[in-house]
Amino acid sequence: MTEIGNTVKQFILTEFLPGEDPGELTETTPLITGGILDSLATMKLIMFLEERYGITMQAHEADAEHLDTVAQIEQLVQSKQQRSR
Amino acid sequence: MSTLASGPTIAGTRGSLVADGRIGLLPLAVVLAQLAIVALVLRQFQIESAAFLRVALLAFAGFAVHAVLPLRHRLSFFLALSLAGIGLALGVVNALWLVTLGLILIGICHLPIGFSFRVSLLVAVGIALALLRVEWLRAPWPAAIWPILGSMFMFRLIVYLYDLRHEPAPPTFVRTLTYFFMLPNACFPLFPVIDYKTFRRNYFDADAYRIYQTGVDWIVRGVIHLLLYRFVYYYLTLAPSEVRGPSDFAQYVVANFLLYLRVSGLFHLVVGMLYLFGFRLPETHHQYLLASSFTDFWRRINIYWKDFMLKIFYYPAYFRLRKAGPTVALVASTLFVFVMTWFLHAYQWFWLRGTALLVWQDVLFWTILGGVVVVNAVYEDRHGRARSLGKRSRDWRSLLGLTLRTLATFTAICILWSFWTSESITEWLSLWSALAGPFTVEAGHALVLVTVLVVIGGTLRANARGGDMPSNAPPPVGRTPGRHVLAVRAVTVAGLGALIVLGVQPIYTQFGPEIASTIQSLRSGRLSRLDNAKLERGYYENLLQVDRFNSQLWEVYTKRPAHWLDIQGGGLKRFTGDFAQEELKPSFTATTNYGTMSTNRWGMRDQDYELKPAPGVFRMALLGPSNVMGWGVADGQTFEAIVEARLNDGVAGLPHAKYEILNFGVPGYQPPQELVAAEKAIGFAPQAMLYVATGRELSRAASYMIEAVNKKLDIPYPGLRELMAKAGIVPGTEEATGLKRLEPYRSELLGFVYRRIADETRRSGAVPVWIFLPQVTQGAWQEETPEQTRLAREAGFVVIDLSDVYEGQDLASVRLAEWDEHPNVRGHQLIATRLLDALEANRAAIFRAARQ
Repeated sequence: MTEIGNTVKQFILTEFLPGEDPGELTETTPLITGGILDSLATMKLIMFLEERYGITMQAHEADAEHLDTVAQIEQLVQSKQQRSR
Repeated sequence: MSTLASGPTIAGTRGSLVADGRIGLLPLAVVLAQLAIVALVLRQFQIESAAFLRVALLAFAGFAVHAVLPLRHRLSFFLALSLAGIGLALGVVNALWLVTLGLILIGICHLPIGFSFRVSLLVAVGIALALLRVEWLRAPWPAAIWPILGSMFMFRLIVYLYDLRHEPAPPTFVRTLTYFFMLPNACFPLFPVIDYKTFRRNYFDADAYRIYQTGVDWIVRGVIHLLLYRFVYYYLTLAPSEVRGPSDFAQYVVANFLLYLRVSGLFHLVVGMLYLFGFRLPETHHQYLLASSFTDFWRRINIYWKDFMLKIFYYPAYFRLRKAGPTVALVASTLFVFVMTWFLHAYQWFWLRGTALLVWQDVLFWTILGGVVVVNAVYEDRHGRARSLGKRSRDWRSLLGLTLRTLATFTAICILWSFWTSESITEWLSLWSALAGPFTVEAGHALVLVTVLVVIGGTLRANARGGDMPSNAPPPVGRTPGRHVLAVRAVTVAGLGALIVLGVQPIYTQFGPEIASTIQSLRSGRLSRLDNAKLERGYYENLLQVDRFNSQLWEVYTKRPAHWLDIQGGGLKRFTGDFAQEELKPSFTATTNYGTMSTNRWGMRDQDYELKPAPGVFRMALLGPSNVMGWGVADGQTFEAIVEARLNDGVAGLPHAKYEILNFGVPGYQPPQELVAAEKAIGFAPQAMLYVATGRELSRAASYMIEAVNKKLDIPYPGLRELMAKAGIVPGTEEATGLKRLEPYRSELLGFVYRRIADETRRSGAVPVWIFLPQVTQGAWQEETPEQTRLAREAGFVVIDLSDVYEGQDLASVRLAEWDEHPNVRGHQLIATRLLDALEANRAAIFRAARQ
């Protein structure tokens, strides 16, 4: 897992899964389709990503195709960062 | 320019076994065996319609072929199956129209013009279609396709356009058509709003056997929901006028909410069938009866709707508003979602039913629900909510808290739901007076039962893996199914086995007459006693009075052609301004699609007569409602006309040379109105007054008197005025309240009507005859027959009972249609034959000397 992945994972554990075993949250753990992230949590995650990485998210990216796993989130952030360079 | 790419795309990169959708022979045989049993169950219990059974059989047979095809051909095969299903459900002509219109709409989405122009063009086409829907313009296609066309496109077009705008890869032609015309939709106007991206992304993205088996599990779950719904619909629903105490109140609100099992059952059936073809879609509902807060309820009930609203309205609104701060964005976006839910509910209603839906209950329901969800959401935003990656352990304190919250949420939702589904706000308010009634032992039992169920459900829910929220995560590849999956499998197999066994008559009759009757009743879909009562009262004329989102009665009437036997608009009746309010217009003629319908100069649906009978003629006056007037048959085809003709042809043993029967039947007349009709008939000097009674004379008399008081009609009968005063019926009395107050006086009311008609008839020198004419189909209306017969005898009528007139007949051959229980031409012939026999048998009492 990259630094982005670790940071995102840490955010999710702290914000939404306090007290849970960090080992249970992997790169491929389904977050939206697994019922961990609802709409409130998804928006909090999006605002964190935008602030932390200086990216801009679109409404249509707030879905399972883009944010379902830590790996997908990582990929999304990296692609947005590359596009903005 | 938007194009459709060629060739299906294969989702998932989860290993070759998953990606090629293969399944071994043994697992396939297991799935097919289960589907064979499901097909038997669908047939045995007559789940939904005959069209659905045909489509289901097509789907299951198609699955057998589909599962062995190479993956690259499966989507096309599914599309072909879907189109065949439309033809099977709607007929070839309707199917062609539906598909053509659909292709036009889809084609507009892909025109080589800017996106906003395409949207504008679709809106313009939508407006044109709306004008056709309300018949301001005449559509060249049959009206029968509207609900399905609406169901396929009214929401999915929105989702599709949204994804077309934002998806980098163009959709394929086959996938697009499959998305809109997907197989089970042809049978179901109410259909889940399936997300296009999910539909595309989750296609064979997991082990094929797991996908198929989940489909079977959900189909079985759907069938169980539908059978539970039937039980609630037949045995637990109450009319508002029947709510007299706290236990009735609890039963009313809970049963009302549980009618939603029909929606959850149908949706499970639908999505389960889609699983058979590789579409691993999310759950449609997730333990919504065990929601522990309003936001929890919103997340669990109709999940597809929630996701649709999130995607199209909530997130776009939130993104636009977030500069105002997270709380403002949250509140405003959530309220926006509920406003749009209300609007789209009305929009859906319009396309499915062809009428506008603007009732205060809808507005208030969504406002209140939206408000409490907002409050809940803000609270959750500030304080968070419990989530878990694994199985969560709970101590007794947290379990107690969860139970209490679940009970409170369930109670609140039931009450709110009862408000939403009530026919008027005053009717709903009148229910609350029942809480002042006696608290019975049954109420206590019900409370304990609900609490126990909630505790059990809450415990199971609390011990579920992953925080118990709905999950559509793909199962891990290669891992053997966990305990939860095996438990669900066991429930499916046990459920199928139980249904098959219970559905066999030699087996369920072993459980005693009461259980056997209950199981027997669950084996067919029919109208409940409440919906039958509505049918009788003519509520169908105004579909808004029908339960607004879950109505078997509505489904009967969607089959009803527009302008079915429509003559009312041509001026058949006129207002009189008196107690009867209306009568047939004199000298009226209309050509209807069942023949000519005309009235004579006196306003009778009959040939012409002189005011007084000629010497030697035996004259009879016939009173009654629409089946007496001859609704749905042409002049001369009514049983009255047939009897008169046969009497004048010479029936052996009857004393007179000439007979006249004057038809004073008026559609919609209730017993009190017959008082006025009888007075009019006496003016024509009959020697016999034939009063035709149908079902529910007691209820209908009571309802009419409440209406008369509320309309402040002049009631020219002191006896009736005194009775209304005694029962406390005053202007402004809500109908359900009025019926409850009149309940102890119903026999006295109908008895007054009968005695008055009989006395006045005898005073005029005629013989009063009471004829019981049943409805074509048996039903709960029969409950009142013994009492009304007793009252007729007590009033001194000669009683003729025609309750066996349709015995042994194929009911479909004697009534006008499934949605219209009036007797048809053959039905009138049967009535005439039976009535003639009865008149002959009672000739000594009825046929005295004709006037000289």
